[in-house]
Amino acid sequence: MAPHDLRRPFKRPAISDQQRRRELTLLRQNQSRCDAQNHARFLASSVLALHSQSQSPEPIFESPIVEHE
Amino acid sequence: VAGIELPQKQWPELIGSLLSNIHQVPAHVKQATLETLGYMCEEVSPDVVDQDQVNKILTAVVQGMNASEANNDVRLAATRALYNALGFAQANFSNDMERDYIMRVVCEATLSPEVKIRQAAFECLVSISSTYYEKLAPYIQDIFNITAKAVKEDEEPVALQAIEFWSSICDEEIDILEEYGGDFTGDSDIPCFYFIKQALPALVPMLLETLLKQEEDQDQDEGAWNIAMAGGTCLGLVARTVGDDIVPLVMPFIEENITKPDWRQREAATYAFGSILEGPSPDKLTPTVNVALNFMLSALTKDPNNHVKDTTAWTLGRIFEFLHGSTVETQIITHANCQQIITVLLQSMKDVPNVAEKACGALYFLAQGYEDVGSSSPLTPFFQEIVQSLLTVTHRDDAGESRLRTAAYETLNEVVRCSTDETAPMVLQLVPVIMMELHQTLEGQKLSSDEREKQNELQGLLCGCLQVIIQKLGSSEPTKYVFMQYADQIMSLFLRVFACRSATVHEEAMLAIGALAYATGPDFAKYMQEFYKYLEMGLQNFEEYQVCAVTVGVVGDICRALEDKILPYCDGIMTQLLKDLSSNQLHRSVKPPIFSCFGDIALAIGENFEKYLMYAMPMLQSAAELSAHTSGADDEMTEYTNLLRNGILEAYSGIFQGFKNSPKTQLLMPYAPHILQFLDSIYMEKDMDDVVMKTAIGVLGDLADTLGSNAGSLIQQSLSSKDFLNECLSSDDHLIKESAEWAKLAISRAISTT
Repeated sequence: MAPHDLRRPFKRPAISDQQRRRELTLLRQNQSRCDAQNHARFLASSVLALHSQSQSPEPIFESPIVEHE
Repeated sequence: VAGIELPQKQWPELIGSLLSNIHQVPAHVKQATLETLGYMCEEVSPDVVDQDQVNKILTAVVQGMNASEANNDVRLAATRALYNALGFAQANFSNDMERDYIMRVVCEATLSPEVKIRQAAFECLVSISSTYYEKLAPYIQDIFNITAKAVKEDEEPVALQAIEFWSSICDEEIDILEEYGGDFTGDSDIPCFYFIKQALPALVPMLLETLLKQEEDQDQDEGAWNIAMAGGTCLGLVARTVGDDIVPLVMPFIEENITKPDWRQREAATYAFGSILEGPSPDKLTPTVNVALNFMLSALTKDPNNHVKDTTAWTLGRIFEFLHGSTVETQIITHANCQQIITVLLQSMKDVPNVAEKACGALYFLAQGYEDVGSSSPLTPFFQEIVQSLLTVTHRDDAGESRLRTAAYETLNEVVRCSTDETAPMVLQLVPVIMMELHQTLEGQKLSSDEREKQNELQGLLCGCLQVIIQKLGSSEPTKYVFMQYADQIMSLFLRVFACRSATVHEEAMLAIGALAYATGPDFAKYMQEFYKYLEMGLQNFEEYQVCAVTVGVVGDICRALEDKILPYCDGIMTQLLKDLSSNQLHRSVKPPIFSCFGDIALAIGENFEKYLMYAMPMLQSAAELSAHTSGADDEMTEYTNLLRNGILEAYSGIFQGFKNSPKTQLLMPYAPHILQFLDSIYMEKDMDDVVMKTAIGVLGDLADTLGSNAGSLIQQSLSSKDFLNECLSSDDHLIKESAEWAKLAISRAISTT
């Protein structure tokens, strides 16, 4: 039966700086991924916007959606 | 053996034959049987033992613990066995009579003349406090009396357990109250009984008494743990549990002791003050802190006792951590006292290692408080001096003691992270300085294994520091431009660092390289040939999964930096990522980022991802099925499931976006029905978080955008696309709304051309 170690962190910050570096890196990476995706979408949507200007706007899902069993 | 066989129902007679020993006369047989039952309960999961057998085990164990048991060895074995068997006693703790009986026997055992039995009985109480918190109300008064007596007069191992009981109750109540306050459920499965609030008038004086029982030189001993440390830690938890109510109970103790000639009293008073700074509201604390600040600064300079100075510097750090920063209304650091605070801290960094380490820690939180200060920081006039002082600390001969060197580099990191444009030239000057330090650690010297370990630690710290600097300088164009002059040299240093065999160093170097790739952009291609083998090594590092995880993140950084120039390396990278996903050895937390990384790769190489579709898509599909249905999952599992879903959805987004406008988009058509089904099912489960919602609605848009009219009818037929889109369009979260607007546009285009 393993001894029950009850020592708790003493005079130590809750999060180590190493953990903070990891977390900040993840934040930066998520932000960059988001930016890259938005960039890809923006390129697409500007093309879409140009295209849709020449068409009359059509509301989506207005035609009856196929009923499911 | 029981641990292996019982879950497979292969040793049904074991428990029965063990229990038949209990009535044997020789005490040592009884003792050995109880020990065996204890080991068995430790190894075996409660759900593989029938309740009938659990009852028999508990009866035997509790009988062995009873005061009528004359043999102390038997009683001790029984008490330790109960500690391990508590997890089996769910049903018994729900029965009032059985619970009363178990609790009575445990409480009686805390009064045994044998110290080891008392200690083991308190260990049982600690375990009961977390496992059966909601059942404790009828016993809490008696337990308070028992623990108070133990803390006051029992031997240290027993007193430590008695304090731990209250720390553990605090842990429970902090968790419950956090759930009450959280906006997710607004409730908790277990009600808070406010044991700490009720016990407060007696509990706080009991804990304050313990603070006076310090050991000489405890601050120099890394492994130290004693009554004063446990008591102060518990006091801090009590403050977090009850907030403002603790302040008036502690203040008289502080006032009475803080100026006493005996260092123990001064230290205890300071430690009490530092301990209660997290929990109470700033309003309640600020008036006292304003007075205390001057006193603390003076004590840090003048107190003759190192222990007092250590705790004083730590308390200053806590003041800055919890009461200084943009979120706190009344500023305790002003133009008038900033200079003095910094002067004292920098002076204190020349003190003995344990005091200097705490001074670095205080400076860390002082800098952190100015994180969102805007373009001009109050630290700017002192920046050069602070950096110089920290570097001086790292060079101290005794910087290896008390984690001092680590604390100095970590503080330097925070000072750099929180710096403003005003001090960017000084951060730039730091680059060659830290590079030189790293270079020196790489010069060929014969080192003993002990020296090598220290060398590795230093390399890790230096890579960490460079990572922070690169990230800081890379975040604005002008500083990035100047920084780039060092890129080649810095990269060659990082590559040399990989020669050493330390997981921490590899991780730090990898993180730094990710930051460098982000700052460098397409030019990073020139390092790839040399760097690739280390990238592959990182992805293969199952054992040290943190290394694997950060390497996966760096692959994403490189994809975004190189775009299609990463293509020559993709076969190797994809092979390794697919192996990682199939591995049972790899920690599960790495798997969601691997899926996101598929998306990064696909977005970077576009239709060239074609050859990986046949491997990646089935993996995504089976993970999607696994993560779609989550009924009955606990909070931790739901959180993981959402991470997994987000990774899967990011992969789909990247793949669709990568294939857009390519003649090969039809290759994705066969996967569309399943992806729409996946979106349907997570929508219907109603347990996705905001991040998943944003990514999911984005995928719907990407699918419509890339597949166009081919997908229009599929989307119209899908069960919940319309409801899902409408829900996202009316979301309060602007990121979800933004993704939904995009999806709406893409879907309307896909449908209009159907």
